[in-house]
Amino acid sequence: MDQAKKDELEKKLAEGVVEFDDDEVKEASEEWVATGEDTYDAIFDGLVTGMEEVGRLFATQEYFVPEMLMAADSLYIGLDIMRPHMVPRDTGVKGTVVIGTVQGDVHDIGKNIVKMMFDVAGFQVFDLGRDVPLEDFLKKQLETNSDIVCLSAMMTTTMMGMPKVIEMIKEKNPTCKILIGGAPITDDVADKFGADGTANDATNALEEAIKMIVALKDIQKEASKN
Amino acid sequence: MTEAVMTSRDRVLKMLSGEKVSPVPCWSGVGNVTTAGLDKLGYDFATVHHDAEMMAKAAMSTYEIYGFEVVTFPFDLCLEAEILGCEMNPYADTKELLYPTIKVKSKNTVEDLRAMAKDPSTATKGRLPQLKEVVKIIREKHGNDVAIASYVLGPFTLGGQIDELEPLLKNSFKKPEETAEYLDALADIIIVIGNELRNMGIDIITTREMGATTDVLSPRVFKKIIMPPLKKIAQSQTGPSVLHICGAVLPIIDMMVEAGFDALSIDSKTPMNEVRERVGDEVVICGNFNPFLALNNGEASDAYNMVAECIKSGVNSVHPGCDIWPSAKSENMEAMIRACREIRP
Repeated sequence: MDQAKKDELEKKLAEGVVEFDDDEVKEASEEWVATGEDTYDAIFDGLVTGMEEVGRLFATQEYFVPEMLMAADSLYIGLDIMRPHMVPRDTGVKGTVVIGTVQGDVHDIGKNIVKMMFDVAGFQVFDLGRDVPLEDFLKKQLETNSDIVCLSAMMTTTMMGMPKVIEMIKEKNPTCKILIGGAPITDDVADKFGADGTANDATNALEEAIKMIVALKDIQKEASKN
Repeated sequence: MTEAVMTSRDRVLKMLSGEKVSPVPCWSGVGNVTTAGLDKLGYDFATVHHDAEMMAKAAMSTYEIYGFEVVTFPFDLCLEAEILGCEMNPYADTKELLYPTIKVKSKNTVEDLRAMAKDPSTATKGRLPQLKEVVKIIREKHGNDVAIASYVLGPFTLGGQIDELEPLLKNSFKKPEETAEYLDALADIIIVIGNELRNMGIDIITTREMGATTDVLSPRVFKKIIMPPLKKIAQSQTGPSVLHICGAVLPIIDMMVEAGFDALSIDSKTPMNEVRERVGDEVVICGNFNPFLALNNGEASDAYNMVAECIKSGVNSVHPGCDIWPSAKSENMEAMIRACREIRP
């Protein structure tokens, strides 16, 4: 595939995500896969670039949650088609994540957005779902020896479970990074709870996750040069 | 009537009718039961939801202990969903104190909902008979000294309780007509339940449409599909009514006013000064301090200062921006009430 064709397909993938055009994403993904080439650029310069734009539109309040969910659906359509054809890169950045919404909270949309970005980045994600008993986070962390645990809570009334999970995990495994997020979480709260990082809303979560993916992309580009 | 002999019920109802009340009332149309109240009664939170006497006593405790100017119940958001056939989880087996959630969703169709709205037995289902008993117990004890408040969910929020939220969110964008029809059918159910709450003698009903905040939906979608059923609910009110939407609602504040409720309740993410600039002095606004930061996280002096700031910003009554988390510290609750009595706008 020549560069012009690559650019065209990447653009189609990015636009497909931004416009939540499932057919366009499917078509471009299949076209790329049919060439037999590595799908790495298609995923990162196509799908992820599209999601970066969605993040920007969300931050400027042109897009809201429904639009973001539809864009995420489109991204997954492309990812499902192309990921089996991506050549794995050994960059030293790999990881396992345990993610879930704490008990008492049945909201999982923010959690799913964050999960999507870990999926894209090639992390192994263990999704415990929503309304997860607090001890289950610890159990899964110990079982998988995950590098990261992500806790989500949408309501003030449920975030109080978070410090308990953090304490349980840090006691057993102080090096595990714990990220918390959700509407009621501020930097102060995260600090008080002893979390390693936070995103207090879907925009922020998406921005943080995108930053993480972009950083990863840079590392990988750097690594592939060497 | 001089203000000195006004009961707190008089004060809150007068405030909601648009008259200025000084000092400003301190109340909440949403969750305000505290661990201190539950402990005093020896109640486990998970057990109070399905027992009239326990619910009444727990609801009265915040008024009785702190002088909070309302008695509000129930404490969870499952009343309507249970009536529609959902199963609630009170978290009886959990050590943590948690608000109940919906465990099994009823996934009613528009046709189901239309039929249930016409069926007279709907007003006798779920915990409605229990709530009637709760009102009786409260009135027997406190007569008309204190206002009794309850709430209903807005149609969009209720839709997310009885069915999956993600398709509802996507359909609000992809299939607005179909979604509007669904929300209209839910509004009819909410009106049936609201009317029954009024019939029991509940003074104030807050419609909580927290799922439709601008953190989630665009003002465009709000106007198109959230406003019509909200207006319908507002028009059905036969007594004091409040609309509560959490999050940063400045982009939709004019629509919230237009919806036609007696008062609006806003949370701390919406700057009160800007709200006043936008809507003028006539609109009754209840708000808007952050209850977690004021009552759980900070010192009593923080609570006092945050409430004082809230009064200075021009609210008609002090009202936490969302549910008070039960483990609110007693000294902070007291500081909140003290600030309301001492600070003048």
